[in-house]
Amino acid sequence: MKLQTTVYSILIVTLFMALLLVYINRRLVKFDPLSKPTGIVLLVIMFAEMIDKMVTEKTNKKIAKYLTPYIMTIMAYIFLANIAGLFSLETPTSNYSVTMVLGAITCILIEVYAAKAKGRKEYIKSWFEPFAPFVVLNVLSKFSTLLSLSLRLFGNILSGGILMSVIYQMLASVSELIPVIGKFNIFGVIVAPVLHFYFDLFSGAMQAYIFVILTISFIGKELPNKQGEE
Amino acid sequence: MEKIAFAAAACVMMGCVTGVMEGLVAMKAVESIGKNPDAADKIQSMAIIGAAISETCAIYCLLVAFLIIFILGR
Repeated sequence: MKLQTTVYSILIVTLFMALLLVYINRRLVKFDPLSKPTGIVLLVIMFAEMIDKMVTEKTNKKIAKYLTPYIMTIMAYIFLANIAGLFSLETPTSNYSVTMVLGAITCILIEVYAAKAKGRKEYIKSWFEPFAPFVVLNVLSKFSTLLSLSLRLFGNILSGGILMSVIYQMLASVSELIPVIGKFNIFGVIVAPVLHFYFDLFSGAMQAYIFVILTISFIGKELPNKQGEE
Repeated sequence: MEKIAFAAAACVMMGCVTGVMEGLVAMKAVESIGKNPDAADKIQSMAIIGAAISETCAIYCLLVAFLIIFILGR
């Protein structure tokens, strides 16, 4: 069986992520809560506060306690995976298996939280609403959530990657017109960094944010009277 | 081969409507932040969610174009 080429970059990104998390854990355990946070500890604390505020706004405090670590992990992973193209790795999120797994985790979480919030009987009843034959449409709508979540991330990152490779080829053929040093891709070096900034950094951060905020708001949508409790 | 290229191009062209509509989302968001600056945080997140959901259409167009190119054009 032939392995897909993105498997190695998935492994590398996951390994890097694991090492980073272990390192951050070491720093946080050693950290004295009374002293002033600096460096990576400060960054992690600010990140955690931001995510916690985002989650608490959409859901309630009890759920935010369990949801925030997952959201932080998934946001860091998607961001790291999206900017892997800058380190000459193949982007893991341009492989549909990765984004589908991420989307599937989110979908299962949505169902679990819906079942917890509504109670088992009400949850099973909600599949047959407004009346029994609608079960087909309800199942389809669950699958369309999965499809749209995963395909959004996949399509954005893949199209960025394909556009970058097309631009590199075009600039290489343009710079071949220069007589002596034409074999070296001169225009590519000049033009590509700006595009890398947009397609890898900006789009990567934006897609990670969108994936996370959609996850939160899909889960928040299933909870009853979230506006009422303050 | 040319027919396949035309089909893929037409498919992606349908996604251009999404560009206009996402512009409308941003326009309304900016307008309402101008009217009500205190609610900027909520409006921002709502605008991003709206833009992201309406972007799905363009992504499907792109996906179908890819499928046309890579499966039919093989």
